[in-house]
Amino acid sequence: MSEKTLHLRLGIFTCLVALFLIFYAIPSFVFSPSNVGNIILSPLFWPYVLAGLTVIVGLGLLANALTSAKDTPFEDDETVHPEGSAPWMRLGALAVIMVLVMVGLPTLGMVWTAMLAFAACAFLFRTRHPVAAVVCAVIVPLLLYAFFAHVAGVAIPQGNFVRLP
Amino acid sequence: MKLRTLGSVLAVGVGLMAGAAMAEYPERPINMIIPYGAGGATDISARTIAEALGTAAGTPLIMANVTGAGGATGSVAVQNAKPDGYTMLFARVGSHSVNPAMKATLPYTLDDFRFVTVYEINPVACAVNPNSGIESMDDLIAKVAEGGVTYSSSGVGSLLHLAGAMVLKEFGVEDPLTQATHIPLQGGGAAATAVLNGTATFICTNTSALANFVANNQLKALMVTTAEPVVGFDAPTANDLGKPRLNALVGWTGIAGPAGLPDDVSAKWGDWITEAAQDAKFAETMGSMGSVIDVMSPDEAIEFINNQYSVFRALVDELGMRIEG
Amino acid sequence: MSLMDSLAAGFSLVGNFEAFFMLFVGLVVGVVAGAIPGLSATMAVALTLPFTFAMTPINAILLLLGVYKGGIFGGSIPAILIKTPGTPASSATILDGHPMAERGEAGRALGMALYASCTADAVSNLALILFAGWLASFALNFGPPEFFALILFSLTIIAGVSGESLLRGALSALAGLLLATIGLDLVYGTNRFTFGNPNMMGGLNFIAVLIGLFAIPEIINMAWNPMAHLGRTRALGKSRCSWADYKNSFKAIIRGSMIGVFLGSIPGIGAAPSAFLSYSEARRTSKNKENFGKGEIEGVAASEAGNNGVAGATLIPLLALGVPGDVITAIIIGAFMVHGLQPGPMMFVLNVDIIYGLFIGLIVSSVFLLIVGSVAIRGFRFVADVPKRILMPGVLILCIYGVFAVNNNIFDVGVMFVMGWVGYIMMRNRIPAAPFLIAFILGPLLEDNFRQAMLMSGSDPSILFRGPITWFFWFLTFVTVFAITRSTLRKKVPLS
Repeated sequence: MSEKTLHLRLGIFTCLVALFLIFYAIPSFVFSPSNVGNIILSPLFWPYVLAGLTVIVGLGLLANALTSAKDTPFEDDETVHPEGSAPWMRLGALAVIMVLVMVGLPTLGMVWTAMLAFAACAFLFRTRHPVAAVVCAVIVPLLLYAFFAHVAGVAIPQGNFVRLP
Repeated sequence: MKLRTLGSVLAVGVGLMAGAAMAEYPERPINMIIPYGAGGATDISARTIAEALGTAAGTPLIMANVTGAGGATGSVAVQNAKPDGYTMLFARVGSHSVNPAMKATLPYTLDDFRFVTVYEINPVACAVNPNSGIESMDDLIAKVAEGGVTYSSSGVGSLLHLAGAMVLKEFGVEDPLTQATHIPLQGGGAAATAVLNGTATFICTNTSALANFVANNQLKALMVTTAEPVVGFDAPTANDLGKPRLNALVGWTGIAGPAGLPDDVSAKWGDWITEAAQDAKFAETMGSMGSVIDVMSPDEAIEFINNQYSVFRALVDELGMRIEG
Repeated sequence: MSLMDSLAAGFSLVGNFEAFFMLFVGLVVGVVAGAIPGLSATMAVALTLPFTFAMTPINAILLLLGVYKGGIFGGSIPAILIKTPGTPASSATILDGHPMAERGEAGRALGMALYASCTADAVSNLALILFAGWLASFALNFGPPEFFALILFSLTIIAGVSGESLLRGALSALAGLLLATIGLDLVYGTNRFTFGNPNMMGGLNFIAVLIGLFAIPEIINMAWNPMAHLGRTRALGKSRCSWADYKNSFKAIIRGSMIGVFLGSIPGIGAAPSAFLSYSEARRTSKNKENFGKGEIEGVAASEAGNNGVAGATLIPLLALGVPGDVITAIIIGAFMVHGLQPGPMMFVLNVDIIYGLFIGLIVSSVFLLIVGSVAIRGFRFVADVPKRILMPGVLILCIYGVFAVNNNIFDVGVMFVMGWVGYIMMRNRIPAAPFLIAFILGPLLEDNFRQAMLMSGSDPSILFRGPITWFFWFLTFVTVFAITRSTLRKKVPLS
C-alpha cells in the first residue's frame, strides 16, 4: 500500500464518520436540556466542534492524497502473506476467544476462563512448547488469582460452578 | 494426567458447594461495593468500619471500589446482584438521595435497594474565601442580590450541588438557579480549591472536606446545617439562624443490599453494625474525620433516607432542577 | 524555631530504623504493584492506607510516599518489556522503551528508566523543599481559564508523537477526543453516547482504553503472524545503561524533571501529560530526532524523568495548601487527617517537625529507589527470555485480571478487547496510538475547563485571556503551532 492509497481510504472513511456523527449520532445520542442559556454551554457544543474538526482532517487527508502524497509503497510494507487465508482465520479465532472470555467471566469465573483462554491462545499461536504452555495455562491464572484475591484484596469473579478459596 | 487433576479439583469444588448450600449465612466472604473512588470520604469510612464489621460477621469483607457516574455504576452493580447477602453496597447521600431526587435518567430508584443501616452522619458547612469580605450568611445573600455569585460542587447531582441551591433558597433567594451560578468541578478536592483560588464564591459540603482549610484560616465557615455546633467550626448552626429545615441537609453513609434481601440477612446486618460501632478504633478514626456515629436500625435507616429524599425531591421539583434526557 | 532546630526535630522523628524501614517497604510494594498492569500506583496507595492507621504519622506518610514513588517507576518495567504500561504515567515510556526491548536492549532501557526516575525524583524533592511556598502560591493562580490555556498548549504535544504523518496523528487524536465524550455531561448531567448503559455513564475507563490500545494489538498481531518475531534478539543480554548514555540524556532528564515539577505543583494535571510533554520536548530539541519512536534511549529518559518529576512536586500543593493534586495525594491527605494532622500553611507552624521529617525521608527515598529499582530490574529480566508465544497469552491473562481489578467491573474487560481491535486496525493503517491517548486524557479537561470558565464569566470569552499566565500559554501555543506548520511546509512533503 502506498501513502496515496492509504490517505485516500482514510480520508473517505473519516468524512463518512463525520457525516454520520453530525447527522445521526450526535442528534440521537447526546441529550441536552431544553433550558440551556447559551449555545457554547450546551452538551452538544463540544461534540459538534469535534465532528467539524473531523471533517477538516478528513478533507485534509483527501487533499493530501490527491496532491502531494507519495505513490510508492511503504518500505516495510507487508506484500503478500505467505500463508494465504490462514492469518484471517486466526484473527477470527482470536475474536471468538475474546467473545467467549466475556461470556465466561461471569458464569465460569475468572480463573477457569483465563486458563482456557491461555491454552487456546498458546495453541492458536502454534507454540513450540505445548507442554510448557499447558502448565503455564494452569499455573499463571492460579498465581494471579492468589495474588489479586489474597494480597491485593480484589473480589475476582468466581462464577457459578467451582469456587476457589 | 491433566484431566485427572482437573477432575479432582472439580470434585473438591462440588463438595465445597454442597456444603455451602447447607451452611448458615455468612459462610464465605462478603463483597462490599464502594461506589466511589479510593481515598474519598465514603471509601475511608467504609474501610474503617470493614475490619470491625468483619469481626462481628465472622467472615472477611472484600472491599471493591466501583466508581463512575456519581456513584451510579457501583449502585447498579449491587442492584443487579443476587439478593443473597453476599453483595452489599456502601450507599452515600449522593448516590441514594440526591441522585434519585435529581436525575430522571438514573437507572435505579430507592425501591431497588433494601437498607440495613445508616451508620454515620456528616454535618454540612458552607464556607467562603476570607478575602471575599463575606462575613455571614446575610452578607452572602446580599451579594447574591448584586449578582455574580457562584458556588462550586463535585459534579451534577452531588450533595454539594443540591446544598448550594437549598441553602440559598432557604435564606430567601427566590430563584437560586439563575441568581447564582453552579460551577461543577472534578471532585470534592477541586471544588474546595475553587473557592480557595476565587473561581467560585462559596461552597457547601461535608465538614470533613473543609476542616483543614478552616483550621488553616484559608476558608471561612459561615454556617453548619446541624442543630448542634461542629467542633472546629466557629460558625452559627442552622437553628441559630432560624432555618431548622436545613437540618435535613446532612451527608450520611449506610449499607444496603438488593431489594430482595431476605429478612434474616437484614436482621444479621443490624446486629453486626451495632457491634462494630462499639469498636474504639472505628469511633476514634471517624471522630478525627469529623463524622458523627449514629447507628440506625434497618427501619430507622429507611425512614431517614425516605425523609431526606422527599425534602430534596420537593426542592428539586420546585426549582426545576430535575435532569431529564 | 530556626532551620537547624527544625532539622534536628525532623531527624529525631525519622532518625530510627522503623521510619526508614517503612519507606523501604513502601518502595518495594510500589515497584511490584506498579509492575503489574492494572494495579496502578493509585490502587497500591489506596490498598496500603488501612495498614497505616495504627502507625505514627511520619511512618504512615513515608510508607505511602514510598508506595507512590515506587509505583510510578515500577510502571515502566512492563511498559518496556511487554508494551503494557503498568501505570498511565508510563505510557510515554512505551514509545521508545519497547522498541529498545525488541532490539534486545531491554536492560539498557530499564537502566535508563531507573536512573532518569531517580534523578527526576531527587530534583522534584529538592524543588519541594526549596520552593514549596512559592510554587504553591503560583499554582493557586490556576483557575479554569489558565487550565484551558495550559491544556490547549499541551495538545500541541500531539505533533511530537505523531510519527511519520501529522495528518494521521491528528486523526488519531480526534478519535481519542470523540471517545472521551462518552459519559455524563459535566454541566447538565445529561447522557452523551451512553446508550442507556450504566457502565458507560462514568465514561470509558482510562486504564482499560490504555491497555487495550497498547498491549492487546501486540497479541492480535501475534495471531496474524506468529513467526514475525523469530530471528530477532529479545533477550535482555548484557546490554546495560552506560555512563555515556546517562550523560547524553542528562539534559533531557533535567528538562523532564523541571516539566514534572511545574505540572506536578499545579493540582489536577497528573503524571501522564507531564511524561508526554517531556518526551515531545526532548524530541524537539534532540540531535537524534529521527530516531525517536524507534528506540531512542533519550526518549525513555525524558518520559521517565517527566513522570517521576511529578511525584515529589504533587506534595507542594498538598503540604502548602492542603490541596490534593491528584487521586494519590487525595488519599495521602486522608492519611494525614486520620492522624489528626491538617495539611496547609498552618502545618508549617504547628507540625514543623513532621514537615522536616518528611523532607529528610524524601531525600533518602531517591537513594532507596535506586537500590530497590536495580533489584527489581534484575528480578524482572527473566520476562524477556520467555518464549514469545507463551509470553503473549500470559500478557493477555494479566491484562484481563489487571483491568478487572481497576474498577471491579467486567465491562472494562470488554472495553479493553474492543479498544484492542481499534488499536490493531490503527496499527495496520499506520495511525499512531500515542496521540489518541493524549487526546483521551486532555480532551475532557479541555472541555470541562472551557465550560467552567464560561460559567464563571457568564459566557464572556475574554476571560480566557484574563492574566499573564493565560497570555504566556497562548503565546507558547501560537509559537509551537507556527513552528510545526513551518517545519512541515519546509519539508517539501507537506503533512506527511
